[in-house]
Amino acid sequence: MDIRFEGAGVSFGARVALEPLTLGISGKRIGVIGLNGSGKTTFARLINGLTKPSVGRVTVNGRDMADEKAAAPDVGFIFQSPQNQIILPIVRDDIAFGLKRRGFTKTEIEAKVDGVLARFGAQALADRRAHELSGGELQVAALCSVLATGPSILILDEPTNQLDLKNRALVEKIITGLPESAIVITHDLDLVADFERVLLFHEGRLAADAPAAEAIARYREIAA
Amino acid sequence: MQSLYVEGNSAMHRLSPRVKLLSLAIFSVVLFISTDIALLSIAMLLAAVVYGIVGLPLRDALRRLRPVFLTIAVVAFFNLIFNPWHDAVVTLLRLTTLMLLAAAVTATTTITQFIDEVTALARPLERTGWVQPDDIGLSLGLVLRFVPEVIDRYQAIREAHRARGLKVRPTTVLAPLIILTLRDADNIAAAIDARRIRRHVS
Repeated sequence: MDIRFEGAGVSFGARVALEPLTLGISGKRIGVIGLNGSGKTTFARLINGLTKPSVGRVTVNGRDMADEKAAAPDVGFIFQSPQNQIILPIVRDDIAFGLKRRGFTKTEIEAKVDGVLARFGAQALADRRAHELSGGELQVAALCSVLATGPSILILDEPTNQLDLKNRALVEKIITGLPESAIVITHDLDLVADFERVLLFHEGRLAADAPAAEAIARYREIAA
Repeated sequence: MQSLYVEGNSAMHRLSPRVKLLSLAIFSVVLFISTDIALLSIAMLLAAVVYGIVGLPLRDALRRLRPVFLTIAVVAFFNLIFNPWHDAVVTLLRLTTLMLLAAAVTATTTITQFIDEVTALARPLERTGWVQPDDIGLSLGLVLRFVPEVIDRYQAIREAHRARGLKVRPTTVLAPLIILTLRDADNIAAAIDARRIRRHVS
């Protein structure tokens, strides 16, 4: 993963959501922490191209993410509410939908859908209705839908939000085992405690860019 | 539709979804040409045979039809009150025939097949520049996916009213329901963009 922020910032009118930021991100696991409204999600949406920078630019593996045509599906995004991310009623159909829109053949789609479900041991979810899935199952189904298209970078926004202990452990295990690079935005400090690098945002600014223990300690000071 | 598909290998299952949908559309028009009770009765019996081919146990087959048939019965009843009995019988036969055919199509067509066919049928309209066929397919999928979620949200708002000792009124339920639904719509749109589902085709 090679993500570069080149003076990239976001403002909505007079309100600054993210101060201009110059930063390079590489590595396998990056944590992003901070209080509500600190700019974490804006930071993540810039990487995916969902939010365009008001100033500066963001590149991912050399591609400018503000350019919709150039922005390849290098970055997968798992939202805070996975129930809103699954857009077709049946899990298998939903996973296949993104692939179909990318022009894969029927045989390729079937192989990829079966492959990604098998990867997470989630074959039993294939023919289930999204509406009936539990929080943990929804999170796994959303992961399958995103990873089926083969992004090299995955952004997870509050992946353990509203999950019970069992499902939280499941999601944590999945994140740990992902071969893809992952950027994890979370209030769950245990989730990022072993990460090589953690970014702390505060009031729209990068307040710390440090190993997990140091960034978490700084966060506790800010939150106190 | 999402819960009504029945796994199987009947003649109806093997029939192309396009043929099924177009036939249903054509029958819907043709049925309204005739007012002959004998002819409509034969059409209804044929439709019942088609529905029978699906392979559902009789009890399940009837259970699925019950809510729609009750509605048809109410419509026919009011027809009987305000119109000659012949009109009421014609209405009953037409709508029952359509219900049986539609139920047969629904039980033998998956959501994906349905979306694919509707998208393909809308494809010629793309040239007009007014219609994006892929978006029509996506919209259908979204409706089928999120109607149960909206119903759940409605129930949750009703329960919240009761928990606070408030009377459930349409005005106080609808406003939060619409606001919450629109908020979710924003999140769903962001998810569609994040998955490059629309961006890729545009």
